[in-house]
Amino acid sequence: MQVDPFGAREIFVGFANFAQLLGSPDYRQSVFFTLWFTVIQAVVTIALALLFAFATDFVIRGRGLYKSVILMPYAIAPVISGVLWAFLFNPAVGPLAQFIQSLGIPWDPNRRPFDAQLLVIVASVWKHICYDYIFLVAALLAVPQSLLEAAKLDGARPVRRFFTISLPLVTPTIFFLMVMNVVYGLFETFGIIDAVTRGGPAGATNTLVYKVYQDGFVQLNLGSSAAQSVILMIIAILFTVLQFRALERRVNYQV
Amino acid sequence: MREETQMTIDFGIKNAPRKFAKTLAAGIALGMLALPGAAAAQERVKVEWWHALGGRLGEVVEKLVTDFNGSQDQYEVVAVHKGNYEENMAAMVAAYRVGQQPTIIQAAERGFMTMLNSGAVVPVPTLMEEQGHDVDWNDFIAPVSGFFLVDGVPAALPFNSSTPIFWYNRDMFKEAGFDAPGETWQEVEKQLYAIKEQGVSECSMALANDFFWSLIENYAALHDQPYGTLANGFDGLGTEFVFNKSPLVVGQLERLSKWMDDEVLQIAGQGLSPEQLFTSGTCATYVASTAAHAGIGSGAQFDWSATFLPHEEGVEPKNSTIGGGALWVLQGKSDEEYAGAAAFIDFVASPETQVWWSKQTGYVPVTTTAYNALKSEGYFKENPTREIAILQLSRGEPTENSRGFRFGNHNQSMQLLVEEIQGVWTGQKTAQEALDNAARRGNEILRQYERLHASQ
Repeated sequence: MQVDPFGAREIFVGFANFAQLLGSPDYRQSVFFTLWFTVIQAVVTIALALLFAFATDFVIRGRGLYKSVILMPYAIAPVISGVLWAFLFNPAVGPLAQFIQSLGIPWDPNRRPFDAQLLVIVASVWKHICYDYIFLVAALLAVPQSLLEAAKLDGARPVRRFFTISLPLVTPTIFFLMVMNVVYGLFETFGIIDAVTRGGPAGATNTLVYKVYQDGFVQLNLGSSAAQSVILMIIAILFTVLQFRALERRVNYQV
Repeated sequence: MREETQMTIDFGIKNAPRKFAKTLAAGIALGMLALPGAAAAQERVKVEWWHALGGRLGEVVEKLVTDFNGSQDQYEVVAVHKGNYEENMAAMVAAYRVGQQPTIIQAAERGFMTMLNSGAVVPVPTLMEEQGHDVDWNDFIAPVSGFFLVDGVPAALPFNSSTPIFWYNRDMFKEAGFDAPGETWQEVEKQLYAIKEQGVSECSMALANDFFWSLIENYAALHDQPYGTLANGFDGLGTEFVFNKSPLVVGQLERLSKWMDDEVLQIAGQGLSPEQLFTSGTCATYVASTAAHAGIGSGAQFDWSATFLPHEEGVEPKNSTIGGGALWVLQGKSDEEYAGAAAFIDFVASPETQVWWSKQTGYVPVTTTAYNALKSEGYFKENPTREIAILQLSRGEPTENSRGFRFGNHNQSMQLLVEEIQGVWTGQKTAQEALDNAARRGNEILRQYERLHASQ
């Protein structure tokens, strides 16, 4: 369906919108970026959250402060945190950007697609760590103390205890978080991308959701935008089904 | 089983007050309808106007609306700032489709075709005639009428009209040993490099967010290069983009790209506006709309000035093109609201408002009467930069290539162009490749638009 923004004119075009999307290099680029962005973001977020959650027990002083610092990003609106990131890493005025440049590392998210992608990933990981952290801390607390103490008596060090006892027991939580992170990466990073890069440079950080918004609401190309939404939905379903099939087998629901 | 029963009961209880509230609301609404004009006569008719001007310009809009509301007691214009032009447009389209549209909407020149062919507008001249206002449509200055008139009358009221001009930091130019920017791109290039190399400033030019308009589209117009076929779309929907076939336009993009590589030209990026880079004294020059007068005039702490856009050596420059917004009136509103809209438009189009508006914002006075009024009070003698835009707009005899642009869904092809040009800046494409791609993808959009509007 092709339609003018006001809904006064419509032509039925069959699958032309889909054909055009699948044939366009920039749409494929967007699909590609979205996939690796989502996967990396999900894995890194969980890994870091797990590390922080594991470390919670070892923070003796100021544990409350430690927790609140980690939880803070969740309380900040995505657009506001996005603007902060964009500003801090702005090559012209951002203090962190200038610090990076002073180390001799070229940094310019306005012109170097990889820098922009990195920035978006870091920003969205930072934003989502707290969510994973809460769940993991709770899951780790639920690990039976008796098992850990038994292992301790057997001489297992903290890291060993973590990998052989805690980790297998929190796999259900990790699996749940994996699904949530993928959904977050696919759909909810919109605000951050809008504020940090606007999908640029040259479409390097244009995720599928952001493209739906750009094409539909900014450019008013409603036909194409609707087709993209359908594709996006299919991808999200596929992703989740795949995760259930591939990962769930390794999840241990028994304590 | 027990749980289910419990739930039903819960729902029953929860719904009860809501139902009651609904009935009450309906009752009140009916009551209000039933009451004859008693209260309504005192009540002013509200006319909603969605606009896209923020910052300093937004304040001026508020003042304009307050002045109108104070000038009479029948209507009350409610101005709502819906974000930038695109956001404003998207909000309006969404509202229109569910019948919640405002009466007046400000749309950018890029949305001209979209609005014109939407079937959703009441042409302003028709409205004014129906409501008994007499407006002289011949009073518009030539560049404005050249763009906005369709069959002799405008479809919308040209409201905030502008054109890009060349802003510069005179202190920096003096420090680098220049009196003023050169007239040609070649001279300007030397000066910008000198400013950088002598260490006067790290950044010789800030790249405006709407550079596609100021540095590409207007460059094509100024140098009489065809941007699209069929007189840039004025002669029909069958138009095609051809900017990629102009060696000058390709050269312009190559030049900008080279400047960027040499860090003479800087992108502000997200989180920072390029105007701030200029106003804060970081960058020495800035090519942007004459409407930046509002922000630069109130913000810059140095000796700033502006001049005409540069042109290529040995070329007689043509006029630049009009940009900015117009006021469109949407269908589906009540007669009182239309009367209010007409009164407001009459107020906006009056020479007094035009003179005031132009002084406050830097936008071009759109009527000859307003322009002459400003001239005769010696305003341009005191503020020479205020006249640059209008002089540049009316320079020479407009050609098919310099009259403006009328492309369907121009907003889409513009976004593509920007995306492709960013590909040049990231080093993934050459200028020629990027423009070829932009033209090819833009043409798909034009054909789509043509198909959709073929029946006209």
